[in-house]
Amino acid sequence: MTMVGSAISTTGHQGGNQRGPEKLLIVDCDIHEGTRSQKDLYPYLPQVYRDQIEDFGISFGGLTYPSIAKGATRHDLWRDEKTHPGTDVELVREFFDANGIDYGVLTGGPYGAVAHPDADFCAAYCRAFNEWEVDTWISADERFRGSIHIAPQDPMLAVQEIERLGTHPKIVQVMLPAGARFPYGNRFYHPIWEAAETLGLVICVHPSAEGAGINSPPTAAGYCTYYPEMRAAWAQIAQAHLASLIYEGVFAKFPRLKFLFIEHDTFWVPGLLWRMDADWKGLRFRVPWVEEKPSDYVLRNVRFGSQPIPEPPNPEDLLTHLKWMHADQTMVYCSDYPHWDMDLPTKILSGVSPELKRRIFGENARELYRLL
Amino acid sequence: MTKHRHIIARLADFPSGTRRVVPIGSKAGIGVYRVGDRFFALRNICPHEGAPLCEGPQRAHIRAERSGTRYQIRYEREGEIIACPWHEWEFDVTTGHALHDSRQRVKTYPIAVEGDEVVLYLEG
Repeated sequence: MTMVGSAISTTGHQGGNQRGPEKLLIVDCDIHEGTRSQKDLYPYLPQVYRDQIEDFGISFGGLTYPSIAKGATRHDLWRDEKTHPGTDVELVREFFDANGIDYGVLTGGPYGAVAHPDADFCAAYCRAFNEWEVDTWISADERFRGSIHIAPQDPMLAVQEIERLGTHPKIVQVMLPAGARFPYGNRFYHPIWEAAETLGLVICVHPSAEGAGINSPPTAAGYCTYYPEMRAAWAQIAQAHLASLIYEGVFAKFPRLKFLFIEHDTFWVPGLLWRMDADWKGLRFRVPWVEEKPSDYVLRNVRFGSQPIPEPPNPEDLLTHLKWMHADQTMVYCSDYPHWDMDLPTKILSGVSPELKRRIFGENARELYRLL
Repeated sequence: MTKHRHIIARLADFPSGTRRVVPIGSKAGIGVYRVGDRFFALRNICPHEGAPLCEGPQRAHIRAERSGTRYQIRYEREGEIIACPWHEWEFDVTTGHALHDSRQRVKTYPIAVEGDEVVLYLEG
């Protein structure tokens, strides 16, 4: 197979060759880095867990839907047959250069660790991954920003890990997959949200681990059978988490906490905001801690990743959608490197005004993560 | 309008089930496929986002056939379907049509075997 790397060699109108004040700030909020081998984490793991993995495998469980070959990656990113493009630090740096990406948030990750019943093992595994991420990636390029992966099965251990790493200058968020035991507004998680708020860390939610291990089924109707079916279900999981966050009063309790939902699509955002605002007029008395209308909390406390960008049959309808979801405040750019469904900054939002582009590609994320 | 004759490969050097992307026509080039003893050529540009279409996977046509109350997966026409390396849109190499929408089409070119050479004629 020839490795062409169009995503690497492409230099578009926002590309790295551009200089000066007109250079569009691009913050990519979804870069998936990974280990080449499970053994990469061994130096960071207690011996008991190294032995356990050697004897039994990682055994996080999970629903391994067949998706796209070679780790669901985009084929032309592979530099050679052996090197997964998410494990190649140099390749990611070249990807940033070619596409003019100023900051990239590393999202990993060891997502299955939220679904195994052994909270101590999972906390140790996440900690090992975090240390490896700092040593291998964050120290390799000024543009990388990092995530703290946590296993929420024991919130106290998760808080300890957030407090251990949360003051690192390059760490900007806490990462959780959408697969969960409870909707994220549930008070079980509040100590975690409190720790993140105190340290100014965003909580980023990415699809994964739905229906895996000890987690809830991936839909209220039951388990999906196929990969595209599961993808279509991601939005309803994010909706359940978001409504839970609003009505459990998380943003009333933690007013400076920021949540970022990435890769959950955004087609549902306007409709859910309308539904919640309409309901709140008559049902506020059932949730009196929700003191502001739900969309006000969302505009202040919640952000959404752009990828996969909606592709309506009439491209002009995208502008209406972006207006309805207040994308000038709520949407941040995500490539989802190195996955097959990734969006290059040069290939999306071509019909959008320069000002809205500026917000989505860079300014919203710069404000969210307090970059520069 | 003149026709330019381009030699793609010697027949013996172009086994069935393989492809060549040759730098002719537009800047993106043209992908040439051999499936059995038939040859097909497509412009190497995906109509979605302009990706190098012919550098993606080449596979069979996987379709479902109703059998009573169940479906059977059929694995047919090995090598006649290609997928874009970017977002995996599938195209039929024999016609250039997208599998998801026959109105969406990649330009195809006539290709011939002349003696022991595989050749493609381009106008202009």
